Amino acid sequence: MMTLEIKHQEQYSRGELLLRSLFGLFYIVLPHVFLLFFVAIAAQVLSFLAFWVILFTGKYPQSWFEFQVKNMRWNLRLNARIYNLADGYPAFGLNAQDEHVTFDVTYPEQTSRGLTLVRALFGIFYVLLPHGFILWFLSIGVMFVQFIAWWAVLFTGKYPASMFDFVVEYLRWSQRVSLYLGYMTDTYPPFSGKPDPAPSPSQATDSSGDQTSETNA
Amino acid sequence: MNETDPLTGQTSPRYHPLPQPDEIPERDREDAMGGYLMMFAAVASSLPLPIINLIAAVIYYYVNRKKSRFIHFHSLQSLLSQLPTTFMNWGLLYWGIMVWTSDNWTFDDYFKGYIFAVVIANLMYVVFSLIAAVRAKKGRMYYFLFFGKLSYDMVFSTSNTLVYKGERSVPTENKPPF
Repeated sequence: MMTLEIKHQEQYSRGELLLRSLFGLFYIVLPHVFLLFFVAIAAQVLSFLAFWVILFTGKYPQSWFEFQVKNMRWNLRLNARIYNLADGYPAFGLNAQDEHVTFDVTYPEQTSRGLTLVRALFGIFYVLLPHGFILWFLSIGVMFVQFIAWWAVLFTGKYPASMFDFVVEYLRWSQRVSLYLGYMTDTYPPFSGKPDPAPSPSQATDSSGDQTSETNA
Repeated sequence: MNETDPLTGQTSPRYHPLPQPDEIPERDREDAMGGYLMMFAAVASSLPLPIINLIAAVIYYYVNRKKSRFIHFHSLQSLLSQLPTTFMNWGLLYWGIMVWTSDNWTFDDYFKGYIFAVVIANLMYVVFSLIAAVRAKKGRMYYFLFFGKLSYDMVFSTSNTLVYKGERSVPTENKPPF
């Protein structure tokens, strides 16, 4: 169960939009990417080791799982700004929170060993190729939508809701594929970026395993 | 093990009691196990350099050491026990490069013997680390030769002032006059 929500703001700052577009590379992207590069190395190491741990124990170590979720959350905070979906400066750090971006993944108590092996060996064929093919076309669509939305925000201060949803669904879809390929869920990613259906209260625990997820769409 | 005060004759424990398997949460066991798995970090990062494992172990140690004594012990033992093999691997790398690039260095019997020693040391390290990882996952202690006692002494000794999650910190404002 994954929750990815980005708050659609009533009003977007035109000044920030221009600032981000002109200098965002230097004051947002570069500092974050520099730090995320090291976090990504750690995440890659843990993901590789988690594969073996799952094979032997049938369980993704919870601390490592939470680290991966935090890493993804940080990336999403940054992406929300790169795609102009949220105003404000994305917070640094793995434990930082964001008022615009919500991302949680339910920690699976058990992970299928067989499925983990299948994913590692054939994931490229039955996950990456079909999803990647569609996501590649969607990314082109996102590029156009982003261009149009940029002008809309500049002149009206509002991000058209349908365009906003399109970009968020693209991000959600990509994230589901990453989760599945990263052995963090056994649920095959749907060919859609729509949010997951709301869980029953007993199922709704976030990645820390001790809170009820209230932000599920 | 107790320590006797020379003035009062009172005895105080020199070591904290060891946690028993049923007292150690599953999460702590996983984190303790993870310390030993850092030896595969070089494979995971696709960089076959001996230093990668050590960097991973150091980072893992500093991130996790305050979680509990059990995690601290295992991650420290893993880190310390990596040092000899890391230095040996570096030596092999350096010697290998010199043999390959310099005419003064030859692929002689000394070099072959060193390769053999390094392979044996690495195999022993991997086997014992895997045993330790399995034991840690079961909530058990496992002591390596030399490094086990050293790690135990550093972590469970009452002179260790590190404050662990969930443990009450020992106030150190009032100290004896000597």
